[in-house]
Amino acid sequence: MTSLRTRAVTGGILLAVVTIVLALAGLGSFMNAQTQTRFTDLLRNRHSQAIVAAASYLDRPDKLGRTLGDPAYQRPFSGEYWQIQSPEGAVYRSPSLVKAALPAPTGSSTERRSIEYVGPTGNLVVGISQWIILDDGSRWHVQVASSLDQLEAELDAVRQSLLSAFAIVAFVGVLGALAQVAMILQPLNALRKDVSARWEGENGLEVESYPVEVAPLVTDINGLMDRNRDIIRRSRRQAADLAHAIKTPSAIMRNELGALENKGMPVQDALEALDRLDAQLKRSFARMRADGGENAVGVFTDLDAALGRMQRAFSALARNAEKEFSADYEPDLRVRMDQSDFEEVMGNLLDNALKWSEGRVLLTAKRSDDNSVIIMVADDGPGIPQEEIAQVTRSGHRLDVSKPGTGLGLAIASDLINAYGGDILLSRSEVLGGLSAVVRLPSSGSSSLDHG
Amino acid sequence: MRILLAEDEPMLANQIKSVLSTEGLAVDLAVDGAEAQFLGETEPYDVIVLDLGLPIRDGITVLKNLRAGGNDTPILILTARNDWTDRVDGLDAGADDYVTKPFHMAELSARVRAMIRRKAGKANPVFSRNEVSFDSRTNQVMVNNVPINLTAQEIAVLSYLFHNAGRLVSRTELSQHIYQYEGDRVSNTIAVFVNRLRKKLGSDLIETVRGRGYVIKAVA
Repeated sequence: MTSLRTRAVTGGILLAVVTIVLALAGLGSFMNAQTQTRFTDLLRNRHSQAIVAAASYLDRPDKLGRTLGDPAYQRPFSGEYWQIQSPEGAVYRSPSLVKAALPAPTGSSTERRSIEYVGPTGNLVVGISQWIILDDGSRWHVQVASSLDQLEAELDAVRQSLLSAFAIVAFVGVLGALAQVAMILQPLNALRKDVSARWEGENGLEVESYPVEVAPLVTDINGLMDRNRDIIRRSRRQAADLAHAIKTPSAIMRNELGALENKGMPVQDALEALDRLDAQLKRSFARMRADGGENAVGVFTDLDAALGRMQRAFSALARNAEKEFSADYEPDLRVRMDQSDFEEVMGNLLDNALKWSEGRVLLTAKRSDDNSVIIMVADDGPGIPQEEIAQVTRSGHRLDVSKPGTGLGLAIASDLINAYGGDILLSRSEVLGGLSAVVRLPSSGSSSLDHG
Repeated sequence: MRILLAEDEPMLANQIKSVLSTEGLAVDLAVDGAEAQFLGETEPYDVIVLDLGLPIRDGITVLKNLRAGGNDTPILILTARNDWTDRVDGLDAGADDYVTKPFHMAELSARVRAMIRRKAGKANPVFSRNEVSFDSRTNQVMVNNVPINLTAQEIAVLSYLFHNAGRLVSRTELSQHIYQYEGDRVSNTIAVFVNRLRKKLGSDLIETVRGRGYVIKAVA
């Protein structure tokens, strides 16, 4: 599993490091050259100053010290030195040299020569020396020297400031990368939230409300959601078709066997086998349907419509049985369950209640505080003893064989309810005294859809 | 009593038809939705047994069309689908009851009889007048608690008159409800059946209103 965020941040940091290293190298060498040039210029200026001094005081060379009054020349071993040799061979030096001397002149060229050598304190110095011929024809040797310590110190300072400047740049860069990642990933985060929030919506996501780069993904997600719904629908249909295809031959066999039985033939085993086959089929289809429910996306049931249908259907059935069916439910309820699955649950529960009741069946539905809807089906029948309640919702258990049916109704309802993250509680009805089935189903957030 | 059976599977249709016929019910068979709707709209049935999975026009559509046309004949739907949605669709569209396939023939027959009785507004399945009693669940006829054997046609006539007790039933109406569509309706055969019934059950049970029809006076 790769994280886009980690990748983007790592990429950002790598890019920043490479940029900083290159910038540091480039800028560093440029500033080094600048500092070197400045150092050389300064030394040349000092040399020119010394030449001017020599020319001005050629009569009184002992005054040279006063003309070259830079304090750096006065401080002993300050790193700045001068030394002038008169035509007569007298040598004048800056006080900073104390008793030391710069190297004696070599050759007689009037070219300016720049050399590096060990200075009076044992450190490297750069010196400029030159024979000059003044207007009166006299030859003077003028040299100045400057310690490289100063240059080193300056270069260090430059490097320091460069490093701290780039540290700030790097820090801001990483922050920027993070911010950029957050901004770029924002539509993806929104998409993730939308996908889970609109899980129950019918119309999928709005492609136009996402950036062009994400839009194809949104289209794909919509496609997948549609496909998912379509697959569920199709497998339902296939299961129903299969049921249809098997049931009619099964009914024919049952009738033939019934006719044989009436003629006194021993067909009990065959009838029982047929019963098992039918029960197994019913169970398998119910299971298939419960498995589909778990993965269903974008489904919900409007209880006004669904319970209205159940109410009309069961009022008719109750009339047939000469029993009384009443329903009382809050308006605008919605549950996160496929409508045919919901009707399957309600059909099984109400059918069971009607079958066992003495005369009254009651259906109620109301919103519960914790985002769920509570539906209760109660009857005034014998109920189920406490110790047998756990069995009923288990597969294939049938408590009483005195009434027709496969005895799977409660188990089928229970499977479906669980598949949708709901639960069912069976107990003695306080209102009617018979069995009470209380079903809790997750409410479908209709309001967030309508206003979002 | 006359039944319309709309079922496209020929073998099952014949099984149902033969069982209901031996119980004294006249059964017309429709093998597709269009035929079922046509017969339902044109013939006076006492109950319609309607399979939901019919070709040409599905059962729900037939059901809705019949109800929309003001037909209030009791309708029993047959469905092979497991889901309640299918049954609820049917009941919501105006069906009175349902039976799911595979079913026990006895159950189908009991439901049909119960629907006929409810249609007639009779709560008690056992009709009796004076010393004669008729159990609509079993077709058992007794005179002074002695069982009497009747033919299917005799039962059909007696059953229709008992279900409509207190009301004058014309010969035409009677023949419409005891003969199936293809059967020859000769109204003087009705007179033959009535005479046989009088011989077996006593002459004062069924009264003749000359030129108009027959009546069993209101029963207990």
